[in-house]
Amino acid sequence: MTRYIIRRLLYLIPVLLGVSLIIFVLFNVVAGDPTAVLLGKNATPRQMQELREQLGLNKPLFAQYLDVVRSAFTFDFGRSWSSKQEISQMLRQGAYPSLCLTIPAFVISTVLSLVISLGVAFYRGKGIDLFVRFCCIAGMSVSALAYILFFQYFFAFKLGWFEISGFEFGFPDFVPFIALPAIIWIVLSIGPDVRFFRTVILDEIYQDYVRTARAKGLSEMHILLKHVLRNAMIPIITYVVIQIPFLILGALLLENFFSIPGLGGITLNALNSSDFPVIKAMAILSSVVYIVFSLISDILYTFADPRVKLK
Amino acid sequence: MKSLMPVLVGLVLLTIGCSKERNFDERELHLISPEKIAGFDPIHGSDLYSANEMGKVYEGLYEFHPFKRPYELVPNLAESLPNVSADGLTYTFVVKKGVLFRDSPVFKDGLGRELSADDVLYTLKRLADPKLQAKGWWLLDDRILGLNEWREKNAPLEASNYDEVIEGLKKIDGYTLQIKLKKPYPQFLYALAMNYTFIVAKEAVEHYGKEFLNYPVGTGPFLLDKFEQSNKIVYIKNPKFREKLFPSEGEEGDEKQGLFADAGKKIPLVDKIIVDIQVESQPKWLLFHKAKADLLEIPKDNFDQAVVGGADLAPELKGKGIRLIKNPMLDVTFFAFNHEDPLFKNVKLRQAMSLAWDRGEANKLFYNNTAIEAQSVIPPGLGGYRKEFKNPFVKLDLELAKKLLAEAGYPNGKGLPEITIQTRNDTISRNTIEHFSKCMNKIGVKVKIGVNTWPELVNKVTKKQHQMYTMAWGADYPDAENFLGLLFCPNQSPGSNGSNYCNPAFDELFRQSTILQDTPERSAFYEKMNEMVALDVPWIFGFNRTKFYLSHAWLKNFKYSEYTHTQFQYLNVDLEVKKELSKKF
Amino acid sequence: MKTNSLWKDSFKQLARDKISLISLLIVLFYALVAILSATGIIAADWSKEVGGSNLPPSFEHFFGTDFLGRSVFIKLIRGTQIAMSVGLATSLIAIPIGVVLGAVAGYFGGWVDDLITWLYTTFSSIPNIMLLIAITMILGKGLFAVYVALGATSWVNLCRLIRGEVMKHKEREYVQAAGAIGGGHFRKLFIHILPNVTHIVIINTSLQFQVAIKSEVILSYLGLGVQGEPSWGTMIDDAKLELAKGVWWQLAGATLAMFFIVLAFNMLGDALRDSLDPKLKGK
Repeated sequence: MTRYIIRRLLYLIPVLLGVSLIIFVLFNVVAGDPTAVLLGKNATPRQMQELREQLGLNKPLFAQYLDVVRSAFTFDFGRSWSSKQEISQMLRQGAYPSLCLTIPAFVISTVLSLVISLGVAFYRGKGIDLFVRFCCIAGMSVSALAYILFFQYFFAFKLGWFEISGFEFGFPDFVPFIALPAIIWIVLSIGPDVRFFRTVILDEIYQDYVRTARAKGLSEMHILLKHVLRNAMIPIITYVVIQIPFLILGALLLENFFSIPGLGGITLNALNSSDFPVIKAMAILSSVVYIVFSLISDILYTFADPRVKLK
Repeated sequence: MKSLMPVLVGLVLLTIGCSKERNFDERELHLISPEKIAGFDPIHGSDLYSANEMGKVYEGLYEFHPFKRPYELVPNLAESLPNVSADGLTYTFVVKKGVLFRDSPVFKDGLGRELSADDVLYTLKRLADPKLQAKGWWLLDDRILGLNEWREKNAPLEASNYDEVIEGLKKIDGYTLQIKLKKPYPQFLYALAMNYTFIVAKEAVEHYGKEFLNYPVGTGPFLLDKFEQSNKIVYIKNPKFREKLFPSEGEEGDEKQGLFADAGKKIPLVDKIIVDIQVESQPKWLLFHKAKADLLEIPKDNFDQAVVGGADLAPELKGKGIRLIKNPMLDVTFFAFNHEDPLFKNVKLRQAMSLAWDRGEANKLFYNNTAIEAQSVIPPGLGGYRKEFKNPFVKLDLELAKKLLAEAGYPNGKGLPEITIQTRNDTISRNTIEHFSKCMNKIGVKVKIGVNTWPELVNKVTKKQHQMYTMAWGADYPDAENFLGLLFCPNQSPGSNGSNYCNPAFDELFRQSTILQDTPERSAFYEKMNEMVALDVPWIFGFNRTKFYLSHAWLKNFKYSEYTHTQFQYLNVDLEVKKELSKKF
Repeated sequence: MKTNSLWKDSFKQLARDKISLISLLIVLFYALVAILSATGIIAADWSKEVGGSNLPPSFEHFFGTDFLGRSVFIKLIRGTQIAMSVGLATSLIAIPIGVVLGAVAGYFGGWVDDLITWLYTTFSSIPNIMLLIAITMILGKGLFAVYVALGATSWVNLCRLIRGEVMKHKEREYVQAAGAIGGGHFRKLFIHILPNVTHIVIINTSLQFQVAIKSEVILSYLGLGVQGEPSWGTMIDDAKLELAKGVWWQLAGATLAMFFIVLAFNMLGDALRDSLDPKLKGK
C-alpha cells in the first residue's frame, strides 16, 4: 500500500513536467508579448524592452522552461504581473469564496442525487422512473448560461429573493450571496449525477447476489440499501472524488456572473490580461490537486471493495 | 450525511432576506468601483479607478479645482503655483509646512513625520526608477535634466541609487525644490496633479518592499482600513489630516445647486468610505437601488430604466429623490485605419467609409442618443475644439460615399478586399462591429470582425498587425495635446499613435504648439491642426460620450469631474435626509 | 458474425422504441436544416434587416428581431448550421485521436501505454478552460479555432474508454485465435478488436456531440466563439445585455433550439447505450 502511494505520488513528476511543458508552449512560446498591456496605454518602446528583460522574456527558451519547471516543483509562483500581488496570497484569498460556494453546492447536489437515484431504482421501469429520467435529460439539455441568465434575472432581479451578486467574507454573511449560484450549481449537476448513479445502481441490481438475496426473502428496500448501495459505492466514490479538484478551481461562470471573488474569477482575469505567472500557478495547482484526488479515489476503492488490490 | 441536507437548506433559507441594519449615525459614504484595484502604488495606477482609490490616501503637489470649469490647477501639497523662469525651463516649488504623513510603524515612534522637499524629489526619482517600470514614466521621459541618464545608469545595478543628486532635481531647503527641464513642457504641472506623482514616504517604500502596494502611507484625507482586492475597500477619516478647507467658489450655477453649503468647513466631511468593487452592471444597479451605494455611474444596460427619452430621470426614481447628473466626457471613440496598409493610403476610401457609417443609428443603439458625434480628434471642453466646425465627412451620405468609393478605384466595392476590424471580446464591442459592418455593406465594403482579449488587441496595435481597430481615448490631462499626439508621426506604434498616421504638415504644427504655454495662440494652433486633420479622415471619428451618474438625495457636493481622484474628500452625507428617504427603499 | 447480429438487434430495438425514433428524426431534421443552410438554400440572407430594432415575436417574425432588426428566426437557422458543424468537426477531430491512441495504448501496453496514459493524464489535469482559451489565442478567434479547441480537449475521455476496452479484448480467444493463424498486430488490432469496441465510439460521439454544442455557448460568452456569424452562443451572450430591457426572445429562441437537439442526442445516447452495451442488456 505505502509503496503504491509513493509510486503514484512520484507519478506527479512526469505529469508536472508535462503540464509545465504545455503551459510553457502555450504561453511563453506562442502567446503574445505581455509588456504592452502591463505598461498601460502610454508605454514607451524603450520601456517595453526593459520590462521584457526584467520579466525574463529575453532569456533562451530552455532557460524559461526551466523557470516554469522550477516553480512547479517549489510552488514558488512569485508575483502577479498585472496586480503585482503575491500569488500565493491571491490564491489563499480566492480559495475561500470558491469553497464557500462549491462545497455546500457539491454536498447538497451529491446527497440529493443519491437519494433520488435510489428512489428511482426502487421504482425502476415505472412511470416515476421514466419521469425523473426525462427531467434529468431535459434539465441537462438547457445551456448553463441560460440557467444563469434566467435565474439571476428572475429570482434575484425580478423577485428580489436573492442577492444579485457580490460576496461577504465570513459566515453567515456569505450565505445570501452564494445561495442562488449554489442552487444553479445543484440544478446543473443533479441531472448528470442522477443519471450516472441510477445506471450504477441498476448495474448492481441485476447481479447474481441480489437474486440470491431476494430468494432468501429479504425485503427490496433492505437489499437496495444494504447490498446494492454498498457495491455501487465504488463507482460512485470514484465519480464523486474525482470531481473535487474542480470544486477547488471554483465555478468559473458562476463566479463571474455573481461577482464572487474566487479562484475561477482569478483564472479568467489572468487569462484575459496575459498574467502568465497566475495562469501557470493555477494550472500547476490544479494538476497537483487532480492527481492527488485520483490517488485518494483509488485508495478509497480498496476500502469500499477489499477485492481490489493496489499494485 | 442525509441529515446534513435539511440543515443546510434551512440555513440558506434563514439567511435570505436578512440584511444588515443600516447605520444612520456615522457619516459613511458608499461608493462603487467598477474595476478591480491592483493596489496602492501611485506609480502603477494607470486607470481612472485605481487613481480614484489612491486619491483617497495620497496627495500630489497640485489638484484640479473640484468645481471650477474649465479645469483649473490649484495647489494641494504645494504652497502655491511654482515660480517658472522666463525660458520656461526652471520651476521652483515650495511645499506646505506642517503636512504630516499618516501614523505608521515605518516612522520613528510610529508617528507620521512632516512632509519635506526631499519627499517630492524621492517620489519623482521613484517614477523614473528602472527597476520599477512605472506606468507613468512617459510623463517624465526625456523631460527633466539628468533624469534619463540616472535611469540608464541604474538599470544594470542591483538597486537604484536614490542618493545621487540629479541636475534637474534639486533641493533648495527643507521645503523648497527646483526642477530643471530639458525643453519647455507646458503639461508638466498636469503631471504633478496625476496619481503617478502622489507623494510617498521613502521609509514606507523601503520598509514594505514589494508589499508597499498594500500599505499606503500618505498624507491624504483618509486612511486605508481594509483592502480586499476584488471585493471591498474601506477607508476611515485621517484624524491628523492638515487644515484643508472646503472651497467657496466654482463655476456659475454651482451656488444654486447648493454645492457651497459646506464652504469653509474643514475637510474631509465624512468619517468612513466603503467602496464595493462590482464589475457586472446588474448588481451595481441593484446596490444603488437598495440604497447601498450613494452614487452610481449608470451602466449602459440599465440606461432605459433610469433615464427616460435620453434626457430625463424616470419618475419612479425622481420620487425617491434621486438626481441625474450628466456630463460630456473628455474622450473620443474611433475606428483607426492602419496607415501602413497600402489600402488606406487612399484618402477617398477612408472618406467613403466615414460617410457610410450611420452614426445616428449607432448613437441610438449603443449610447441611447446621448453621445456627441465627434468631428475630429479633440473633444468638446478642451482648447482647440470649435463648436462651429463640422467635418464634411462625418455624416451619413451613401450617394457621396458610393461616388468616392468609385473614385477610389472600387466602384460598388469591386476589387476591394475584405477588411478586418480588430476589437475586444465583449458583447458591446461585437455588436458595434456588427452594426458597422451592416452600414459598410450598403456601399459594398465588406467588413469582418476580429475579436481579441485586451492584451491581444494591444499587441496587435503595438506590433502594427491590424488593418483597422476600434478603441476609445480618454484625456490623461485637460490639454488637447494629449489627443493630437495620437496622430503625431514620431508617436507611431508602439507609441500611442496606433494608426501609424503620418502627416508632415501636421507634425510640424504639433512640434511648434507643444512648447507653447496655454495661450489663445496655442488654442489657435490646436484648432488649425484639429480641422486640418479632420478632412484627411485618419480615423473614422466616433463619438464623444456622455457620462451619467445617479446620486441619492443625501449625497452632497458631488460635481462631475473627469479627474475624480481628488474629488471624494469634498463629498458629504446628509444623515437627516438619508434617514427620511431610506423608508422609501 | 457476433457483431452483425448485435447491430441488427440494436437497430430493431431502436426502431421499436418510439422515443429513440423521434430523437433520431430530430437529429436528422437538424442535420437537414444545417445542410440546407450551409448550401445557401435557406437563411442565406440572415444579415438582412427585416424590421425595426428589437421587435417582439409576432406572426411576421416568429422569434422577433434583434438589435439590428434582423430576424431572430433566421439567425436561429443559421445558428443550427454552426452548432451542427461544431459537433461534427469536434467529433471528427476527437474520434481518430481518441480511438487510435486508446487502441494502441490498450493493445501494446508497456512503454507505449505509459506514454499515452501520461499524455492524457497531463491533458486532463489542466483545466479545460485554460486549454480552450490558449488554443483560441494561438489560432485566432473564430469557427476553426472552436473546432480545434473543442476537438483537442474532448479526445481524452474516449481514449481512456477505448484503452480499457481494448485491454479486455486482447486477451479474448478470438484475438488469440487470430494471432495463431498468423495475423499481425495491425490486423489483430484494427480488423479484429476495433469493430468490437465501436459501440463505445458511437455512444461517446452522440454524447460528445451535445457537449460540443453546449461548449460553443460558453466559449461565445467568454468572447472566444464564432465571430461575424450568428450562433446560438452569441445570441445567448447578447441576451446578457438585453434581458434587462425586457428583450427575452433571443435567449428563448436559442435556448429552445439548443434544447431539442441536445435532448435528442442525450436520448439517443441513452438508447444506444442500452441497446449496444450488452452489460445492461438483461433488464
